[in-house]
This record gives sequence, structure tokens and C-alpha cells, in this order.
Amino acid sequence: MKNLLLASTIAALTTASAAIADITILAWPGGDPEKALREVVTLYNDTQGKEDGSKADVIYFSRQGFKEKMLTDAAAGSTEFDLMLTATYDIGRYAPFMLPIDDLIDDETYKVFPPNAIETQKFEGSVYGIPNDLSLHFLYYREDYIGQLLSDPAWIERYQEISEKHLGQRLSPKAPEEWNWDDYIATAFFFTRSINADSPTRYGTVLQLKNLLFNMMLWQATVASHGGDWQDGDGNITIDSDAFRRGLAIYKTIVDNKATPGDSSSYEYGEANSAFGSGQVAFMIQWNAAVPELNDPEQNPEVAGKFALTHQPAGPEGIKTHFHSLGLGLSAASENKDDARKFLRWLGTSVEANTMYAQLGGSPPVVDAIMSKVADKRPDLPMMGEHAGSYGFVMNGGTSEHALRLYEIIAENFTGYWAGELSEDEAISNVEEEMRKAFAG
Amino acid sequence: MSYHASKHKEGMLLLSGLCVFMAFMLGYPAVANIWYSLSNISFSDIHTSEFVGLVNFENQLFSPKMWKAMGFSLQFGLICAALEVVLALLLVFTLHPILSRRPWLTAFLMLPMMVSPALMGVMYRLMLNEFAGVVPLYFEMFGVYVNFLGPENIYTTVIVIEVLQWTPFALLILLAARQAVSPDIEEAANMDGAKPLQLIRFIFLPAMLPAIVIVAFIRFIDSFRVFDHIFVLTGGGPGSKTTSISIYIYKLFFNQNAIGEAVAVSLILLFMSLILFVMAAKLIFRSE
Repeated sequence: MKNLLLASTIAALTTASAAIADITILAWPGGDPEKALREVVTLYNDTQGKEDGSKADVIYFSRQGFKEKMLTDAAAGSTEFDLMLTATYDIGRYAPFMLPIDDLIDDETYKVFPPNAIETQKFEGSVYGIPNDLSLHFLYYREDYIGQLLSDPAWIERYQEISEKHLGQRLSPKAPEEWNWDDYIATAFFFTRSINADSPTRYGTVLQLKNLLFNMMLWQATVASHGGDWQDGDGNITIDSDAFRRGLAIYKTIVDNKATPGDSSSYEYGEANSAFGSGQVAFMIQWNAAVPELNDPEQNPEVAGKFALTHQPAGPEGIKTHFHSLGLGLSAASENKDDARKFLRWLGTSVEANTMYAQLGGSPPVVDAIMSKVADKRPDLPMMGEHAGSYGFVMNGGTSEHALRLYEIIAENFTGYWAGELSEDEAISNVEEEMRKAFAG
Repeated sequence: MSYHASKHKEGMLLLSGLCVFMAFMLGYPAVANIWYSLSNISFSDIHTSEFVGLVNFENQLFSPKMWKAMGFSLQFGLICAALEVVLALLLVFTLHPILSRRPWLTAFLMLPMMVSPALMGVMYRLMLNEFAGVVPLYFEMFGVYVNFLGPENIYTTVIVIEVLQWTPFALLILLAARQAVSPDIEEAANMDGAKPLQLIRFIFLPAMLPAIVIVAFIRFIDSFRVFDHIFVLTGGGPGSKTTSISIYIYKLFFNQNAIGEAVAVSLILLFMSLILFVMAAKLIFRSE
């Protein structure tokens, strides 16, 4: 009898596992988006997955070296995951190991994602991913301090003195929405205690200057707002330009005047958050993903509820923000392509899934109708849509197969310049040369 | 069959397993790497590489960036190895009387090297942070403001972290070498009126010399190929200020997608290590 029961159980389990094909999703780890995606996957398994006869699971590598690990696995033809992470700036690199999913994109998809969001997941005309997180930059500023700067005559007078002394022009404080880059620098100086002993903060701003490609994405709005680009319309490299020199100078002025922490050269996302979260920094340009974390009173009691968001300062060519999307695409080595495609179709067309994802901390670049549903809980989301539409830019060549490599070269040379290791001319010439080589093939 | 021939055959048979193992585990990757180093290869054409001869070696041997990274590693390795050996010797001679009576205390001294280097990097990234770190906080209490991770101090900081983590390794080996010195010799020297410094200079150091050379060599090689904690702390920057040769190879391989050139640098490195190994071996045998 025991043997019979055991055999029946094994048979039942075998049948069940044959009926439910598993798909594995390799996704970007950490923070609220990770928790949100886990919930979305659970929702799929409880609803559409049952209809599809498919069960999804999600796995994560650590953030450190994530892309390298995924690249190695993908190039080796790993079947450990069926769906993999895509990002606007490196789809070209991973495209040889993925399959396009154009046939999954139709009017139903556009009811959830606007066409420009789908565009961020395209490479050479083909769609490779369903976007599930939009990334761009906000100017985070302390409302209390900026409010006082705009209203306190003594502060206004001091601000004018500082701007005249350090920038050679007597500027008056403005609301952050009206800033240009000179206002940004002058305000950074005003809130730096080594320049203004009465400053309530130790530093005006915090720059992320670690030799890391993502830090260059943060910086390059300075260039774009001055009309700079990697290449012109004819494919000529245009790094050696006034726009790039001005962009470099904006950061260099802040670094040299110590208006950013002295160890900023080792800073990236986390360090900038901890500096701003300590209450010792008046404003910073940071990724949108930091909003929930900085507004959490348990994690950041010094700043939660005390800061506001706006766009980055304007240049002669207007306001700009780098933007890209992360998404999920189909691995060419997947052994469960049909099930993986079913999941992607569901993710790309489900209002419920994307609403849930946004409510739980993800930042899907969805249509306004869905954004408005979660605006109460996530006021930053509609702002993101507006900023991406109005100010978003991607450098010419910034989605090519060379993009990642070029960002690395830019990071190495320009962080070297800000740290005093290279001259401006050396840094620009090195980047130009490498970029020319890359685009020449 | 003669006795010697039979023994020879047995020896060959017993060695064959090891040889097969080595051929698979070391031989195959070595041959594959030599092929990659002679090929134009990237992730997108990893199965269809093109033979290009010595171009990758030529590109890298004439690359100032490669030599800069090599110079960093060489300097870093020499400084760290020297500091670790000197510190370990000081600790050995200071702590030997205590550790010989309470050997379990040695376990506490070994703790730093049990932490993974990457974790060590993360730990110091937090501890040295101006806003969240405990070390700058203590310095500030005494009115001293130091940016440990700023461009002006980052080189010293990464060296100190390496030395703090790996001095225990040198201590362990040198302590064993010190304890291996016969108490009879020490007693005889004492009876002859040798002072403590003379004991160290004329008895212990000569007896410990082979161990010192081995430790210095191992620590140099290990520090020379430093990667983890520097990569976590600085990413090799600012600029390329802290780019070691391992970080350089990693970036060449993964970020620049120049697999052939990255492997070529690895082989250059292997060749240089072999030269060093031969030199160290000669030194050890000569001192013995």
C-alpha cells in the first residue's frame, strides 16, 4: 500500500511538473522595484499563468558586475534564464543573444505603454524588450533652505556677494525651476560652509564622480543643454566642442571650490543618497529611483518630506535630462520561448500588472491613464512621464553596440580630469580618439 | 622486467591520473587562452574568432594605459609586500612570548584575512564615508578632517586596507618560522650573552629567511593582482589612478569587449610571474 501511495505521488508530481512549464526571469536587483516585480510575477502565476499553463520565477544577480555576469552567461548560451534584462543603452550589445519581439507589440500594448517608451527598447528597428522601469534624473532640493534663500534679505545679500566673488557676476537667488547652470553653481557655493560660514549645510551639492558609466549619464545633461552631442548628423565626432568643455567646467568649478564632498570621486548612487539623506547637502541631481528611499522617514529622517523635485538647470538649448528604460527581453538560448513570450505579452498588455508594479515602487513608463491612477501614492511618476517627454535626450550613438564601451571611456577620462589626473585637452582628445575608433568599426 | 623498469612503469601509471587532470583543468584553458590571444574575438563572435597573429600582443605592449596599470600593480605589490612583512616581523617578535603560551589568540589575529576582499571593500566604503562612516567621525572629534577616499588620499587608503587585511597571513607564516627555531640555539645564544636585538639579527632572522622570502613573494604576487577591494571602492578611478593590471584586464575584457587583447595581457602577466617565480625559487634555494 505504501509503495502504491509513493508511486501515485511521484506520478502526480511528474504530471504536474510536465503541465506547468517554468520560465525564469533574470531581473535588475534591489530596492522597491525588486519587491514589486516579485509581486507582479506572483500575480501572473495566480492569474494569466494558470491560463497559459506556465509558471514564472524570478532570479537576481548582485548589482556589482550584473551586466558582465549576464553577458558571460548570454554569450555562453546559458539556459538558466528565459527572460533577461534589457536597457536602452546596451540593447545593441546583448541583441546578438536575444530574439526580437516585434510581433508582441500591437494596439493592446500601446494601451499600456506609449510608443516612445517602446522606442527605448528598440535596436536597429526591432523591439527587444517590454519596458518596465523608466530612469531619468531630477533635481532634488531642500524646500526649507531654498525657501529661506528666496525670502531672507540677509541670505539674498550674501548669495549675491558669493556669486560676484566666485563667478564674477552678481546673481540673485531664483527658484530651482528657473535655474540655469550658473544659478546651480552659485547656489552650491552659497550652501557650502567652507565658502559661506552661515550655511545650514556642509555642502551645496553632491556630485557622483566615481569612474562609473552611470555617473556620466547623470553629468551629460550639462552638455546636452548646451547643444552638445557625441556625433553630429553626419557621424562626425563632436566631443571637442564648447558644449563638452562647458559641461566639464561646471563640475570642475564645483569640485575645485569644494562645494561637493571631498571624497566625491568615489561616489555613486548610494553615497550621494547618504550625503543628501544626512541633511548636510542642500540639493543634488539624482536618479528618480531615489525618491521613495529619501522620502522614507525611517531610512532618512533628516530629509523625508522636506525636499521637492524639479528638472535639471537649463542651458542655452533648454532643459535636458538623460533617460533610458530597463525592460525584459527574450533570451535566444531559452528552452521555453513560447511560455516566455506569453509572459512578455501579458506584461506588455496588463493594466493591472503595471499599476501594481507602479504602486509597489517600480517606475513603469506607462500611459497617462495608468500614471494618474497611482499619482496619489507616487507623485513622482507623472512627473517622470512629463520630463521624459519634454526634456529627455539620448546621445547620438548612445544606443549603439558601442555605447557601453564609450560610456566607460568617457567615465575614465572625465573623472580623471575632475580629479586633476588629466588635463581637459587630454581627456577630450582621449575620448574623441576612442569614439572615432569605435564608430569607424 | 628489471626492478627499476617495473618501478618506472608504476610511477608512470600513478602519475597518469594527475597528468590527465592537469591536461583538462590547466592544459585546455591554457591552449584556449593562447588561441584567444592570437585572435580577433569579442562576445558577439565568440564562436567565430579570426586569427590575427601577434596583433593583440603588439597593441598591448605599446599601450601606455597597460603600462600605467602594470606600474600601479608593481608599485602597489612591492609597497604592500614590504609593509606586510615588516609589520608581521614586528608582531612576531613582540607577540611571540604571549602567543607561545596562549596559541588560541592567534585565531583572533587571523580574522581580517577571513573576510572576502570584496566585502572588505564594501565595509571600508561605508566606514570611510564622510557622512555615514565611523572613521571620519572619530577624526572629526579631534578636529581633523580627512577625505580618505578623495583623490589626494585614495592611493594610501587602498594600500592601508590591503596591509590591514593581509598582514595576518604574513604573521601566521613567520610566527611558525619563529617557533621552528630550536629553543636550544636561543638558550645557547643567551648563555653567550646575546642581547635581544642581537638574537633577532644573528639568530632568528637568518633562520627565518627562507620563510620571509616565501611570504614576501606570495604577498607580492597576491597584491600585484589586486582587484576586489579597489574595484569596489573606486572602480579603478578617479580616472585610472587606482587601476591595477587585474582591473585593466577586466575592463578590457568586459567593458571594452576586447577579449583577445585582454587574454594577451593575461599571458604577458603569466610570463612575468614565471620569471619572478624562478628568481624567488633561486633565492630560496641559495639561502637554504
